[in-house]
Amino acid sequence: MSEHHEKPEISPAARRFIIALCVLAAVLVALEFIIHRHAYFTTEGQPLFFAVYGFIAFIVVVAGGVGLRKLVMRDIDYYDQGERDE
Amino acid sequence: MSSLVTLLQIPGLLLVFGAAVVPFLPHKLRQAYMLAIIALSAYWCWGIDVGTHLSTNLAGLDLTLVRAEAITRPFALVFHIAAALNVIYAMHEKSRLTATSGLAYAGAAIAALFAGDFITLFIYWELTAFTSVFLILVSGTPRSFAAAMRYLLMQVSSGVILLAGAVLLWHGGQGLSIQAMQANTLAGGLVLLAFGIKAAFPFLNGWLQDAYPEASVTGTVMLSAFTTKLAIYMLALCFAGTEILIYIGAVMTLFPVFFAVIENDLRRVLAFSLNNQLGFMVVGVGIGTELALNGTVAHAFAHIIYKALLFMSMGAVLYRTGTAKASELGGLWKKMPLTMIFCIIGAVSISSFPLFSGFVTKSLTIGSVAKDGYFVIWMILIFASAGVLEHSGIKIPYFAFFGHDRKFEVKEAPLNMLIAMGIAAGLCIVIGVAPHLLYGLLPYDVKYDVWEAGHVLGEMQLLIFAILAFVFLMVRGWYPPEIDSTVLNTDWFLRRALPRTVNALSRPFLAAWASAVAQSKTAILAVLHTGEETSRKSGLVSGVASTGAAAAIFLAIFALLLLLRFVA
Repeated sequence: MSEHHEKPEISPAARRFIIALCVLAAVLVALEFIIHRHAYFTTEGQPLFFAVYGFIAFIVVVAGGVGLRKLVMRDIDYYDQGERDE
Repeated sequence: MSSLVTLLQIPGLLLVFGAAVVPFLPHKLRQAYMLAIIALSAYWCWGIDVGTHLSTNLAGLDLTLVRAEAITRPFALVFHIAAALNVIYAMHEKSRLTATSGLAYAGAAIAALFAGDFITLFIYWELTAFTSVFLILVSGTPRSFAAAMRYLLMQVSSGVILLAGAVLLWHGGQGLSIQAMQANTLAGGLVLLAFGIKAAFPFLNGWLQDAYPEASVTGTVMLSAFTTKLAIYMLALCFAGTEILIYIGAVMTLFPVFFAVIENDLRRVLAFSLNNQLGFMVVGVGIGTELALNGTVAHAFAHIIYKALLFMSMGAVLYRTGTAKASELGGLWKKMPLTMIFCIIGAVSISSFPLFSGFVTKSLTIGSVAKDGYFVIWMILIFASAGVLEHSGIKIPYFAFFGHDRKFEVKEAPLNMLIAMGIAAGLCIVIGVAPHLLYGLLPYDVKYDVWEAGHVLGEMQLLIFAILAFVFLMVRGWYPPEIDSTVLNTDWFLRRALPRTVNALSRPFLAAWASAVAQSKTAILAVLHTGEETSRKSGLVSGVASTGAAAAIFLAIFALLLLLRFVA
């Protein structure tokens, strides 16, 4: 997943955005221990369920997409080539 | 004349027939005229209460031309809002074809909402196909022509299957009226299949991602509103509580999110996203409780607006830069700041951030799934919500407006586009902040508290930590690069597998035919050759000697006949 591109440079604006995001995330984690979340399922009731699941789900979606590329990615003129062949 | 007046009373037909005048009007008058008749039609439809209002008997068939259900009003309202937004968004455009077909298409879809029987529905069902195909054809490229023909093939097939289902229903004595039915009979199954094609069920979805991004800048926006939501509406009328729809819908929410990650054409990403959103609505229909159906209707309403907004923003980008490919875009926020803001409002709405429209509508569906105890489905829907954030919430705005600065020297979107996007963005916020305005239109009382603190907290945690995951992948350089490529989808079966299979299957027959032709040719040539040989000067029948021989034979027969004459 990592071999073909290097780390992008982070602009000052992006850095400020990331810091703000981390602060917000920290606040949301803190609120978990103040606000009661009503849960329908046991899993949902686990501490920080949504934070953990959201993070993991996002990574799985992207990783799944990368895996899917091997299966379904073709040249941009894939269908045009096909028409020429036939 | 009176019959025309009766016809125009059928909701939507004012727009269908009104569209016939559109090509003959000068540009400015055309815009005013279209907005006026859309407003008139909206006013007319708003006044139609639940019940049957116009029916007729045609060739022994009882047809219900105008009938409203509890969910008709919100759908009719949002279809009119979409139609009006489309006119405003396309005001800069000189194409009479786009204006005409766009208006007629909206009218056909609105008329279909009020159809009370399957024959009437069939007519509008096909009319939406024939009016909308021009929105793809107007692109004018061989590629869009081919996509338009595939689109038409799928849409018309859906209509034919619907008609077959209707005939079976009628034959089975169940009547033609559109009402709750069983999916496990042949007739019900055919009707479900017909709806499923237009609702882009898994494996029936290829036409959506194939055709929509091939339409013109304005055409794609027009297409995004009607056909698929009409199918959702019909599913809700006929198959509410059909359990299989829960699973079909869950698959629909899931698979497009992976495709959307790797699709490079941002309008095609939105087409995958549209498919995912339909999945949430189909799950709601499958659950079928009051809360779930409220969720489906509310979601469809909010979705039409924020999805149009997203397609409009990408259309504006395409209009100005000439491309909608992520690999070619970036840094546009400096040049198109208003488009960027509107796009982000659409993005946070679809991602269901609290205070935006997606949150107050999707929560109903997901809440109904939890209430009915479908744990796995619930986990899938939450997972898919993170997927929505990935492609519609982050990828679309990030790659168009931020990311690599491609140094485009372009102007902000035209004023009319900005107005249309501004109205849509305003509606996303109004619905998000004051959901009771939308809830009041829903078929059942909403008892669900979307503002419950724990619920808002959970949603915010999900979204913010998913964004953190994006930041994590970007900072590590692990986010996959955008690659200009073709992503195979289920339209592959139609475009590649089917032609190849037909070719392969027909090969033995073609070979046998070719061999038969070759052998016949040999035989004919042999006959000709023999004829030629025997007809030459020295041949059996053409030589000098043979003339005498022929005369001798003839004389012999003649003599024999004479002899017989005398003997007899």
